Amino acid sequence: MSLENKQISSENTSNFKPLIVAFCCNWCSYAGADLAGTSRLNYPANVKIIKVPCSCRVNPNFVLRAFQRGADGVVIAGCHPGDCHYTSGNYYTRRRFTLMKNLLEYVGLEPERFKVDWISAGEGNKFAAVMNEALEQVHKLGPNRKLRDARWKR
Amino acid sequence: MEKIANKVRETARLALANGEVNKILGWKKGDFWYDSYPAFITEEEGTASLIWDSFCVANLSKYLIEQLKEDIKVGVFLKGCDARAFNQLLKDNRVDRDKVVIYGLPCPGMIDPEKVKKAGLAKGLLDVQKSEDEVVFITKEGEQKFSAREFAYDKCLTCQYPNPVVYDELLAEEVERNNTTEYFYQDVEEIEKMSPDERFAYWVEQFSKCIRCNACRNVCPACSCEKCIFDNSKANVAGKAKVDSEEQFFHIVRAYHVAGRCVDCGECSRVCPVGIPLAKLNRKIIKDITEFYGEHNAGVNPSLDAPLETFKLEDIDPFETRAKGGK
Amino acid sequence: MQRIGVFVCWCGTNIAGTVDIDQVKQAAEKIPGVVNVQDYQYMCSEVGQNLIKNAIKEQKLDRVVIASCSPRMHEATFRKAAKSAGLNPYLVEIANIREQCSWVHKNKEEATEKAIALVRAAVAKATLNTELVPGEIGVEPRALEIGGGIAGIQTALDIAEAGYKVDIIEKTPSIGGKMAQIDKTFPTLDCSACILTPKMVDASTHPNINLYTYSEVEAVQGYVGNFEVTIRQKARSVNADKCTGCGICTDKCPSKKAESEFDEGLRKRGAIYIPFPQAVPNVPVIDREECLKFKTGKCGLCERVCPSGAIEFNQEDTLVTQKYGAIVVATGYDLINLDKFGEYPYTEHPDVITSLEFERLTSAAGPTAGKFLRPSNGNKPKKVVFVQCVGSRDKSSRGKTYCSKICCMYTAKHAMLIKEKYPEIEVYVFYIDVRTPGKNFDEFQRRAVEEYGVNYIKGMVGKVFPEGDKLQVHGVDALSSETLIIDADMVVLAAATKAKDDAQELGRKLSISTDANNFFTEAHPKLRPVETHSAGIYLAGACQGPKDIPETVAQSSAAAAKAIGLLNKGKLVNNPCVSQVDEQICSGCLACTKMCPYEAISSQVIEVKEQGKIVKKTVAHVNEALCQGCGGCTVTCRAGALDLKGFMNRQILAEVDAICL
Repeated sequence: MSLENKQISSENTSNFKPLIVAFCCNWCSYAGADLAGTSRLNYPANVKIIKVPCSCRVNPNFVLRAFQRGADGVVIAGCHPGDCHYTSGNYYTRRRFTLMKNLLEYVGLEPERFKVDWISAGEGNKFAAVMNEALEQVHKLGPNRKLRDARWKR
Repeated sequence: MEKIANKVRETARLALANGEVNKILGWKKGDFWYDSYPAFITEEEGTASLIWDSFCVANLSKYLIEQLKEDIKVGVFLKGCDARAFNQLLKDNRVDRDKVVIYGLPCPGMIDPEKVKKAGLAKGLLDVQKSEDEVVFITKEGEQKFSAREFAYDKCLTCQYPNPVVYDELLAEEVERNNTTEYFYQDVEEIEKMSPDERFAYWVEQFSKCIRCNACRNVCPACSCEKCIFDNSKANVAGKAKVDSEEQFFHIVRAYHVAGRCVDCGECSRVCPVGIPLAKLNRKIIKDITEFYGEHNAGVNPSLDAPLETFKLEDIDPFETRAKGGK
Repeated sequence: MQRIGVFVCWCGTNIAGTVDIDQVKQAAEKIPGVVNVQDYQYMCSEVGQNLIKNAIKEQKLDRVVIASCSPRMHEATFRKAAKSAGLNPYLVEIANIREQCSWVHKNKEEATEKAIALVRAAVAKATLNTELVPGEIGVEPRALEIGGGIAGIQTALDIAEAGYKVDIIEKTPSIGGKMAQIDKTFPTLDCSACILTPKMVDASTHPNINLYTYSEVEAVQGYVGNFEVTIRQKARSVNADKCTGCGICTDKCPSKKAESEFDEGLRKRGAIYIPFPQAVPNVPVIDREECLKFKTGKCGLCERVCPSGAIEFNQEDTLVTQKYGAIVVATGYDLINLDKFGEYPYTEHPDVITSLEFERLTSAAGPTAGKFLRPSNGNKPKKVVFVQCVGSRDKSSRGKTYCSKICCMYTAKHAMLIKEKYPEIEVYVFYIDVRTPGKNFDEFQRRAVEEYGVNYIKGMVGKVFPEGDKLQVHGVDALSSETLIIDADMVVLAAATKAKDDAQELGRKLSISTDANNFFTEAHPKLRPVETHSAGIYLAGACQGPKDIPETVAQSSAAAAKAIGLLNKGKLVNNPCVSQVDEQICSGCLACTKMCPYEAISSQVIEVKEQGKIVKKTVAHVNEALCQGCGGCTVTCRAGALDLKGFMNRQILAEVDAICL
């Protein structure tokens, strides 16, 4: 283990506040998150959303950057396959991140830390459920040290 | 091989003499027994220095990008893996097929000097001769014969395209090589079997050796952008600090950028001065593509869509946790 | 350094109840570039908007961040306010601290912390925002109506009356749809054909309406205001211009084996046929699967008897491409297949029929000329049992989970129609619930019970056994828990409605979404019920969900109003958040051109200076009118030469960084 990783592990983990960065497509999943809001469905405040026009706008660089900056989990949420506002964007998302997720796991990331899911504008319930589940799993794993830049203080 | 080497020199000489090409791109002998350098030859007499031996491992196709910026016609010698690389460059619009004459060289497999050194055979070595199955090391003391497979590059052991997939003229008879006995993805599966923490430890150790020399990038026929995103300050991901996370970032993104485009020539691993097994990243993606979307050998048929530039409605969906509508 | 203003909205207690506004303000003040921070109870109100406008002017703000409700709610409002204060509207960013913060988190400390992070991210993004100016696109003053049922006809007539051209595409040989098959309509019991056929004639004769019957949508390209639709006109084998509709061919046709679609298979029709006497257009079509000429090469009788030489056996499908400004989808519904409902021997016994077959049996123009007779033996039935919810409100995979909505009312209607003509027939209705909301609907159903003596039994039918020439219906009266056995002569099944089987395929062509049941999804269930998520495409009728005629017509006129509103604009402002190419970085691999869903990226050759020499270089080129701003190309581009305005790589990375602080 390198020096910077040792530095992170010496941090106090008892009051672990996980951070989940969620990239949500404007048309389905961001609207689904809004619906979770209007329906007053609870999910923890550790989930923070970044709006993108389409899930196909999410560059793997963004995911890696989030892990670098200390995210404990990353979620990409888009329209269900077949429902993309831009016809086919999420089909590209699906291929890209099928490969990317496998690659990240291949270099050692736990599968639970990176998720892609399809959440429609009507699925406020699903949005809350997916986020709660992601958070629960990340909580079990503890703080993420992999791919993380120790110089960045969260 | 020597017979073919003569043909290489003769072909090059003739091509320059009759004006078929303005420049020849081939190999010449380097300083050590295991060295070969790329040779750029414009004069007939220069062709005498060209070689074709068991160390002509360097892929010459990527030099074409720079060479073709001049308005000239270039003749180039390409092996099987080099020809796939050429096709990939063609697909990426980086070379102009009309300005290139390809002399195809069916490849019997190249010798890995590191394996020779490891076996303690490098000392006092005068010459290395290779036939189809055998390799002979000649020193002052005499000759030693071995099975050629023992000293072949790992990538040559699993090579599926020893014969050029594109050429204007083939300089030798096609070789037959049956590599099916060697399980193709063994190297990848060894890593897949590890636990996430073991895998991470393995790759951190590998990546931490990285000195960001960019040799892997420079040699890669799929890395042909005019300006790499890691050199583009506007992209805001160009971090080059000597810290684990930035090395990981670089190598993960590099592997992803060649996804579906990597011709599996293994040059990245070969040229890495610190010995990072980079091809294992690329080969993981090739394995996944084959499993999920069907076999796609980049550079074999450039008219096929690259896996990440297309999709199928019925592609596997590893993500859906609940079907739409909660059913 | 930017001059950024941050405006924190309380939204009454909606935000302020869970988020500590003061703490958010204090944190915002510390962010580099932020020069002015204010809060107000309702930032979207006129007072709140003026607060922002004044601050822009007085503080010379060059970026504005508003921490409030979702941008889907008020982004447009705040952008407009900024614009009126002289600030480019795309320099406004919203931090969504209501829907995605105060409404979903209970702990005030955590919600406040998150609100601060969201404000930080919005400021980080805004810092990198640039002025964007939308372009203008024209609107083709012509609408397309997909589906020629009552929904399509109503919408088309409304649009045509407003002065715009409308084309109707109808898949079958005639317009009219399901309503043409119906005998009487609830709750007035007036004749369906009497109110529909005049509208069909109006549609066919209106100078602004053009019919494409026996046609389908082949492909759709383009975008709002400028759709380009390719229509496949299937070969009718009859020249519509020459045909006079005399009907000799249909009489003489020797092949009479095909089941009439219009009569739900209760009557046979010829291979050359007009679906029903009032069909519009009144031009026959040859069913090539049935026609002897096509099957064996012999016959050709119709050709010989046609007095106007209209039969054309060698006709082929033709493709027409037409531009449209707006599209209304009104493709209707179907009944589910009852193969899996073995307890009612629908497929085996001719006296077990669906409600739509019942409509044909009672229709004066139907196969029995309106006499209510058993299909098996032509006798008058004595007892008739209606079964409700056959496949509706059914959680098993063979049925549909939803309520089909129209069955309670049409069953009451059917029961009354029987009792009206034949008071001696006993009528039973098995139901789960009777659902009759709607103007005069409940009164209508009560009349069936109170005036006509229809026996309503709350409970389901377990099984129907054919017994001799009877149908023994085994059911349970749920109120008395009694098992009932009724020796019925006919059983009428209220089969569930379903979306058209090809709805998904059409949805894909149009880029509009379908729900779990394949009904088209409206943009908002309450506030945008006739719009889809694709601008310029509207929904009418049962293709959006089960609907009766009054509702369908209301929705159709609503869709027409929306379409007219769009066509009337003449010009549209397009989304300025489109992709752009950095030609210096672009290597010309053109991978982006292959993945773009809109074919908005092409290649161009430019001249650049390289080491003192002018060289030619191939680069990608974005057509801003075609680009819809999905941003997919930016990920395909490895070098980052393509970037999406408004969602640039740098901006999103800055948001990530700011959130992870």
